[in-house]
Amino acid sequence: MPQTVKYKRLRKELRAMALTTGLVGATTLLIFAIIWQIGLTRGTVAYFIPVLIAATRWGIVSALYAAILGVLASAFFFFPPRFSLTITDPQEVINLVLYVFVAIVVSQLATRLKRQLETSHRREIEIRDLYDFSRRLAVAFDVADIQSAIEDHLTTVTQRKVVLFAGARESGTAGKRRNAGAAPPEVLVEVKNFAAAGRDNVTGVTVAGDAGETWLVRAVSPKSPEFGLIAINFGRHSQDDSDELRARVDAALADATATLERLGIAHAINEAHMRSQTDQLREALIGSVSHELRTPLASILGAATVLSTAPALQNEPKLQALVQDVRSEAERLNEDIQNLLDASRISSDGIKPQAEWAEPADIIDSALERCRSRMAGHRIVLNLPSDLPLIHVDPVLVKQALVQIFDNAAKYSSPSSQITVAARARDGRMVLSVSDQGAGLSATEQPQIWDRFVRGERQAATTSGSGLGLWIANAFIAANGGRMNAVSDGPGKGATLAIELPVTQAAVPHMESDADE
Amino acid sequence: MHEAGSGTEGIRAATLRPIDIVIVDLGLPDMDGSEVVERIRSWSTVPIIVLSVRSTEAQKVRLLEIGADDYVVKPFGIAELLARVRVALRRQSRAASGEPAVTVGPLTIDLAARAVTLDGVRLALTPKEYRLLQVLAQHAGNVVTHQHLLKEVWGSIHMQDTHYLRIFVRKLRQKIEPKADSPKILATELGVGYRLAYSGAEGETPVLAPAKAES
Repeated sequence: MPQTVKYKRLRKELRAMALTTGLVGATTLLIFAIIWQIGLTRGTVAYFIPVLIAATRWGIVSALYAAILGVLASAFFFFPPRFSLTITDPQEVINLVLYVFVAIVVSQLATRLKRQLETSHRREIEIRDLYDFSRRLAVAFDVADIQSAIEDHLTTVTQRKVVLFAGARESGTAGKRRNAGAAPPEVLVEVKNFAAAGRDNVTGVTVAGDAGETWLVRAVSPKSPEFGLIAINFGRHSQDDSDELRARVDAALADATATLERLGIAHAINEAHMRSQTDQLREALIGSVSHELRTPLASILGAATVLSTAPALQNEPKLQALVQDVRSEAERLNEDIQNLLDASRISSDGIKPQAEWAEPADIIDSALERCRSRMAGHRIVLNLPSDLPLIHVDPVLVKQALVQIFDNAAKYSSPSSQITVAARARDGRMVLSVSDQGAGLSATEQPQIWDRFVRGERQAATTSGSGLGLWIANAFIAANGGRMNAVSDGPGKGATLAIELPVTQAAVPHMESDADE
Repeated sequence: MHEAGSGTEGIRAATLRPIDIVIVDLGLPDMDGSEVVERIRSWSTVPIIVLSVRSTEAQKVRLLEIGADDYVVKPFGIAELLARVRVALRRQSRAASGEPAVTVGPLTIDLAARAVTLDGVRLALTPKEYRLLQVLAQHAGNVVTHQHLLKEVWGSIHMQDTHYLRIFVRKLRQKIEPKADSPKILATELGVGYRLAYSGAEGETPVLAPAKAES
């Protein structure tokens, strides 16, 4: 195989020589033309043209060849005696020597320039690849994204098939699943051994594949096993070539790991592993908490309702009141459990709105239904226009946000006061507002009410609560693309809490026909 | 009444004796409650009511799709559970006796004559409005999911077009509700579907009007 390569290089060189000869010939004809047309006799300067062209395009050898051809052609065609290589005029000899000297300098300069251009061009490609790579890493969402980015980057840089195996810890199993059949079995075995041995082998090992190909197996970074292992298909190459390739792989990996380390990817990968485990744990915990806590609550509530209707208690107002207490406290406990579960769902970025076209009046109705017993004493005034547009939201989340607001309104206002619920659509937004005549908000309280675990100092002593309610409501509304705001004239003057939701009227899908059938 | 401690035991019990209604708790030691629903539904039409801790609306819809008649969310009052049981039993007996009329508060739907009356006054409904009411009446007292209604009334290609449903429910409420802005008959189960049930002014749980054929 080296023979073919050398032959190729020779052929390339010969082609350049032939082209140079052609160029010199063309220049000679040009000079002849100038002599005939204008009568200029000192045309040898024109031989710099082929020298320059050859130097920039084909390198120093062709440039020197062009210079020699130029000297010969000038001596033969233009310096007296013509059509002979002998030169009589010493002036002309000096000219020619000068010409040769300048040609050599020029061709050297041109070749160096060419090489620099090529280097900077290659460097530019490398930098672009690296830049692409770090950009992909920046938007990578999970470990798999990062790994496929590493894999793609190495494939681009080495121009060889690269297979990446996930973290050495997993003994390449994850990688195997992802790249089933991407590498021959021998390589997979070696990957496994390599990972199991956990050696910090920088150069890696070569494996011969079944089709006579050689594969290089090595760690992406000897310092950070999180990045995994790579197997690179070297194809059928001689020792020289694979050494060269190996150097290129080393360089590419060094660049890549530098980028990975700069971005703290190792840390991120570890964290992602840990986070997915914590997520699973949390899911399981939430599931069992809600089941384990709610099942006894159901029994308590069931027993309390049976007790409250028991004939034996009909004439015992004190016992009746106690049963009522048990019931309402059990209900409150249930709400608190729900709030804690909602809060942990929000913290783990777990709200995924199930948007559908919803009737705003239905949402308000069902929120009122939920809070009916809590607001039993209050006068509820509904102010709903009949032509409210449909909104595209998750109705359950919006309802839960409303329930929190109603809950607050009922809690912080006197039992006989009025609560006004209004809805209106304006400027592409739907505003649902709840106004009470209760404790109101002071200027310092106003910006704080949306924070987690914040409770008004005036209220903390007299009413119970976790300080989660409005924070949850705000998160639910934000998940639906809306926002909340609170307005109050001051302490004791009541407050109005409003939910603003986008109304995408234009996006309401057209009904096939308004008429029936 | 038979009480079973696990899913397999429950399914076996349901096969051994004639039963009127099955109440399944979703949190079972040996299997998921929804699997019990699916297994029993594969050979029986017995009413099934599911008890669950507050599951998501998507889970409720799935339970109804695999054959549960209704669900009650924990913690619940006994009255609520009893009301749901009564509704499910009544539906079963109505299906068995072939009784054509469904009465919900002041509203009567005569499924045989395709006639709807409100306080004795006959209502003029468009064919689609009637179809919507008919599907709800066939499941009177139980939740009917959005997807089921859309499929039955508009066809399966419109299963995701909830806005059709909203617009027609709005129209229908204007005709069948005594007060359209505070619906008492066509109740919304947010995120799940609709329920045809009459909730009186003071009643805490929606119940059907006094029935002629109580089992």
